[in-house]
Amino acid sequence: MRTQNKIRIIFFFLLCFCKLVTSAQNKKDSVTEITPSITFTYLNSNDTIILTANIFDKKEQGVFAIKNAVIEFSASGDKETQNLGQAKADEEGNAILKLPVATAIPKDKDGKTTYTAKFNGKGKFQPAMETFSAKLARITVNFSKEDSLHFILVTATQVDYKGSVKPIQKEKVVVYVPRLFTLLKIGETDLDEAGTGKVEYTMKLVGDSLGNIMVLARIEENDKFGNVQGQSSISWGIPKQYYLAERPTRELWTPIAPIWMIVTLITMLTGVWAHYIYAVIQLIKIKQISKKNPENPENSGFPHNQ
Amino acid sequence: MENKDTKEKLLREFAPQLEKTSSATLVWILFLLGVIAWGVYAFVAQVTKGHIVTGMRDNVVWGIYIVNFIFFMGMSYAGAIISGTLQLFRTEWRKPIIRMAEYLAIISLLIGPGYILLCIGRLDRLHYLALFGRIQSPITWDVIAISTDIFGCLIFLYLSILRDIASLRDFSELKIPAWRKKIYSMLALGYTGLPEQVKRLRRATDIMATMVIAIAIIVYSVLAWIFSVTLQPGWHSTIFGPYFVIAAVYSGTGVLIIAMWVFRKVYRLDQYITRKHFVAMGVLMVVLAALFGYFTFSDYLTKWYGSEKNDESLIRILFTEYYWPFIFSNYVGVLIPLLVIGIPKLRTITNITLSALIVIVALWFNRYLIVIPTLESPYLPIQDSRPEWANYAGTWVEYALMAAGVALFCLMFTIASKFVPVMNVSEMSETPKTESSELFKTEESLL
Repeated sequence: MRTQNKIRIIFFFLLCFCKLVTSAQNKKDSVTEITPSITFTYLNSNDTIILTANIFDKKEQGVFAIKNAVIEFSASGDKETQNLGQAKADEEGNAILKLPVATAIPKDKDGKTTYTAKFNGKGKFQPAMETFSAKLARITVNFSKEDSLHFILVTATQVDYKGSVKPIQKEKVVVYVPRLFTLLKIGETDLDEAGTGKVEYTMKLVGDSLGNIMVLARIEENDKFGNVQGQSSISWGIPKQYYLAERPTRELWTPIAPIWMIVTLITMLTGVWAHYIYAVIQLIKIKQISKKNPENPENSGFPHNQ
Repeated sequence: MENKDTKEKLLREFAPQLEKTSSATLVWILFLLGVIAWGVYAFVAQVTKGHIVTGMRDNVVWGIYIVNFIFFMGMSYAGAIISGTLQLFRTEWRKPIIRMAEYLAIISLLIGPGYILLCIGRLDRLHYLALFGRIQSPITWDVIAISTDIFGCLIFLYLSILRDIASLRDFSELKIPAWRKKIYSMLALGYTGLPEQVKRLRRATDIMATMVIAIAIIVYSVLAWIFSVTLQPGWHSTIFGPYFVIAAVYSGTGVLIIAMWVFRKVYRLDQYITRKHFVAMGVLMVVLAALFGYFTFSDYLTKWYGSEKNDESLIRILFTEYYWPFIFSNYVGVLIPLLVIGIPKLRTITNITLSALIVIVALWFNRYLIVIPTLESPYLPIQDSRPEWANYAGTWVEYALMAAGVALFCLMFTIASKFVPVMNVSEMSETPKTESSELFKTEESLL
């Protein structure tokens, strides 16, 4: 009886302990909140501003993108803040908003615009925000040919508070040609007083079927301008020739079987049936031998008895 | 060299089998006919109502019919390979059992393709196969191969029984109706054992023995290629050809052992079919069990290790839904003969026969597992379909026709043994060569 009571008490305490642990765990689960982070990139490419906010949750196990998070983008200057729109994060956590450069965007007295990417939070996901300031700029790419030399000419300009256009000076511009998986750097130049730079094109790159290659000129991760990109194409590349690789034809779909198959089949069948015929001929010969044999009981008419 | 006295003694001994049909045999035949009639009834139901009476549907389009087709064809090739090999190597212990192997080859070969006809939905279009058949199609290969094999096996069987037919024609003590004597006389082709006849018969028999072995291997490989040339998970395997051949000979060896046991009991052939023959066949079965196990393991290991999505899915199905059939066919079916033959104390006629029975059932399940689970895990997802269409279960119609096939097999074996002795009398009356008889004097020499 005493032992039974002891077991009951132990069992009761075990139950209590389990309940305690479970409820503690549930409580812990219910209060676990996720604090997302945002990385914000700005790219001014020709006539488009591309704002990309990557929202993610950084844990010990790694970085987890927060899919479907709605990011609100806004731009602000000295006085006003303008909503630019919102975008939903994709599977990699990227929410992308594209704006035409022509859009009237608020600026501060230095001509800079502060862009904000904001996640308002939802459920256990806490709000997050990131900002980036950049001055509106533009790069144009042109080409020139001097004797047998080819040059890429870049011109970078900026727009000030009043809206007037001025050259960008003393900044580094990197020139690329896009390849299959990445950008191939072909040179770089420092902008002069007039906001221009020159890069010699010496490479022999394969272009499209007409020999066109795309050339990108970039000011990268600049404190004032962010990422600014200009691009243009020129037929300095080697025309790409498309060779149609010889595909093995699925001769099973053709009306006639492959020759090797016909030959193999006929050879095998001929071989086999030739042997059959040979065996049958031997049987015929056996019959003929018996007919020629005078002692054959069938020939003599005697009963078949040995 | 034939010993006339021995031959007459043997003929006298086998004569009752050919002359009379015991009441027990009559009951047996009636039973078999009853089962066949049940099969005919099922067939009529299938023809009148369509294939809806079977378990085959849109996704699993092959069922027990194809399993039986593979199984019977396998037994046939086993019979051909075993009889051809024994004939070529002049194995002394072959004499009492070679005729059974020959019967096995031809009877199975006549029944097996029948299951294809049962599987085909539109028999009225069967002649299209000849009219519009294309050499590129493995099905056409199979039709050509099987028909070639049937002719080959028939010629080989005829060559093998020719001397016995001639002996029966000449055996005056045989009390059979005149029409049967006439048939024997006609089929004997005037064979009287003249040296030239013996020479020609032996030459033809040896050539046909070689041919039936080669054809059996080719034909069963073709049957395997019908599966392996497709991209179906579980079928698209380069080792399917040899795997099928080994599995065929393995199952056929089992059937032959059962046939030996049955005829030994029914016709009281204890003095001719001895433990030595069972052990010899048992050893052959063990070798084939090892090869079969090796091929099975190799096939599934590569599929499992490759972790291709659909192969993984198939292996999961095999180890869950078909767990027990899988274990039985690939583990029990391999290990039992190894144990029975490997342990000398277990090496009795009954044990060897029982292990052969297990092998036959295991190999039938092996074919079932090759056909059905694969079709239940196709590359294209089965969706918007009824569950019973995605999974297969045989119906009474299919099982009735399966039973009818087995009954027809037994019936044909019974009738064949009533026409020509179930043992090769002419060969058994030959004086054995000294070295051969010495070589197989004891069963230990076989192991």
